[in-house]
Amino acid sequence: MQLILRNIPRFFHTSTPKALAAEKSALGTLRKKTGYTFTNCKKALEMHSNDIEKAEEWLKQQAQALGWSKATKLEGRQTTQGLIGVAIDNNNGVLVEINCETDFVARNVEFENMVKEAAESCLNYLKNTQKSGNSITKVGLDADQLKTLKASDGKSLADKLALMIGTVGENASLKRAIGIRVNNGIYLTGYAHPSGKATSNILLGRIGSLLAIKNLNPENPKIEELAKGICQHVVGLAPKAIGHIDAKPAENKEEETNLIHQEYLLDDSLTVKELLEENQLEVVDFRRFECGENVEINQ
Amino acid sequence: MASLVISRIFVPATHRSLRHLLNRKSIAKFHNYHAKNLQIIIPQSNQKRLYSEKKVFERNKPHCNVGTIGHVDHGKTTLTAAITKVLADSKLAKARGYADIDNAPEEKARGITINVAHIEYQTEKRHYGHTDCPGHADYIKNMITGAAQMDGAILVVAATDGVMPQTREHLLLAKQIGVTDLVVFINKVDTADKEMVELVEMEIRELLTEMGFDGDSVPIICGSALCALEGKDPEIGKNAILKLLEAVDVHIPTPVRELDKPFLLPVEHTYSIPGRGTVVTGRLERGVVKKGADCEFVGFSKVLKSTVTGVEMFHQILEEAQAGDQLGALVRGLKRDDIKRGMVMAKPGTVKSYDQIESQVYVLSKEEGGRTKPFTSFIQLQMFCRTWDCAVQVVVPDKEMVMPGEDSKLILKMMRPMVLEQGQRFTLRDGSVTLGTGVVTKVLPLMKEEERQTLTEGKKAREKKTATQQ
Repeated sequence: MQLILRNIPRFFHTSTPKALAAEKSALGTLRKKTGYTFTNCKKALEMHSNDIEKAEEWLKQQAQALGWSKATKLEGRQTTQGLIGVAIDNNNGVLVEINCETDFVARNVEFENMVKEAAESCLNYLKNTQKSGNSITKVGLDADQLKTLKASDGKSLADKLALMIGTVGENASLKRAIGIRVNNGIYLTGYAHPSGKATSNILLGRIGSLLAIKNLNPENPKIEELAKGICQHVVGLAPKAIGHIDAKPAENKEEETNLIHQEYLLDDSLTVKELLEENQLEVVDFRRFECGENVEINQ
Repeated sequence: MASLVISRIFVPATHRSLRHLLNRKSIAKFHNYHAKNLQIIIPQSNQKRLYSEKKVFERNKPHCNVGTIGHVDHGKTTLTAAITKVLADSKLAKARGYADIDNAPEEKARGITINVAHIEYQTEKRHYGHTDCPGHADYIKNMITGAAQMDGAILVVAATDGVMPQTREHLLLAKQIGVTDLVVFINKVDTADKEMVELVEMEIRELLTEMGFDGDSVPIICGSALCALEGKDPEIGKNAILKLLEAVDVHIPTPVRELDKPFLLPVEHTYSIPGRGTVVTGRLERGVVKKGADCEFVGFSKVLKSTVTGVEMFHQILEEAQAGDQLGALVRGLKRDDIKRGMVMAKPGTVKSYDQIESQVYVLSKEEGGRTKPFTSFIQLQMFCRTWDCAVQVVVPDKEMVMPGEDSKLILKMMRPMVLEQGQRFTLRDGSVTLGTGVVTKVLPLMKEEERQTLTEGKKAREKKTATQQ
């Protein structure tokens, strides 16, 4: 009896193959084309009596609203994973942190694109800010400021984020950003770890750093390599401050938190101070972001 | 709980019998202060006897470890709860609520990242350990340290959403940890219609094939975990869950027990016994050894053939030694100096020496007693495995450095060939610090002589070489 009952839908299925096939392909095509959830694709088709083009248009219009509704629904769920984006353009550099719920999403292309987008927006914002009188200008952005930034297509980052939340179905948040502008004569470099997915001029990783370094010997041929090395050192050893040359190094080398007194990561036979002196360099400033860490944003 | 058990042994018998009438929870709560008052206050309603609460595990079915993977909102936890509920009806599991599974509270409190919930249940055919993996890095760490294992996985996808962008990453994880057998459960069928479900199924098969799984033959079961949990609509509820379990039973193969594998004994000591010959001792890692068995000693670039002429344990003759036994084996025709600690006695032809491996390593964080600083390629470490240890050179293939607290793929180049195999666990140490623990993911072909020579070269020599090459 049960067997017969189970087979009843099949009869229906075979009896109206044409009508169903058409619908199926419509839903299938729409989903394939847009990537929106099946429920939404179906709703769109129902509203536009199976007209794929109209449905697609409606979906695109609704995407923003749907993303927002999803975002509000998921709001409050903890976001502890994520990515740091590091973007450098000559004298301007930014660090951006965006969080999500699981590291599966943090590894996804959609999320990576979002971080890139945010980094670029910050870079643009930075370029348009007033320089201060100092040789170095720092701009810190908190979550609310980040939300209002405009992306390349004129939408706000908050809108973009909502769109992304709509596609991956997980909560995400713009956490913080910092931008550094330097005058000519100061070299700016960035590093992100793990550095496996470096594309274009934006680096993505779990930990990122920015480093401004002054070159006292303009003929220095290795500045690029050395600056990158020190930047990597900052990521790896997490110094808290540059430290004063005259200050006494900590007794336990492992607990040293001043950059210049730490052993250089790539060659532990010398300290960073020795490396800097040897190559006539001077660290002006650095910033380090680690994903998920609890730090107040300071200017 | 342990203290409770101990205290129970020592309290007078009269006192004890009264306590048996109370349930465990109330004792735990009031144990110290109110035990005496409680005897009066709480009515003797609970008839459960305390020591019978701990059930004896019956080992009458093969064991298998499965896990659920999928998007956070697609109902992995609901499915797990539904499985236990459906099986509880036929007394094969203890029904677990959503909250029990979702946050393993002890682990959360300890702040350790073993936030994998462990649930057990059984079908008619097998006994299962069920895990849920919340994140990639968490799971990899657990896999490496051995806290969680998966012989097969259940991929959960909601019919309402279909495949999510990050499903790709979920499947990547499965691949990385060596899970080849998958069963798919399309959840939330109650809120979707038939064509949606069919399309989702098509999509999943496509993605599975793209990711290198056998997409066409992976069983896909449609149902609703929520219906099963609420006892509604048995066709997509209870029956779907039973169908899923049947598919898991059939499709995910039972792992081979250690006892059924060819024997292997890592040599701990060798003795020369006058008038009898050479005896090797150690703990039999797997398989069964009998008197008269052919064996092979492998390690330190040597392979020696021999025969086991006697097996003893605690100075008594043993008919047959089984995996886990600490034994001494008398071997024919070998001198004591031929065999060294670190070699392996195994069934001929079952093990080989390698000097280059690909591995997945979890590097301990500073808090866990590991290094404070990150390391880069070409660091020299000591690798400890079974009874041997060996100096290795590390190559970090896909990043520039490895930070403490991270997992990473490492290529290890050993100073001399040693017995290794895929799935073998080992420890890496740097001086007196334990740097991390790892598992062999792939054995690589033996190095050439020139390659081996480069291992002992210093940094200067390496730099010189790259300079001349350019």
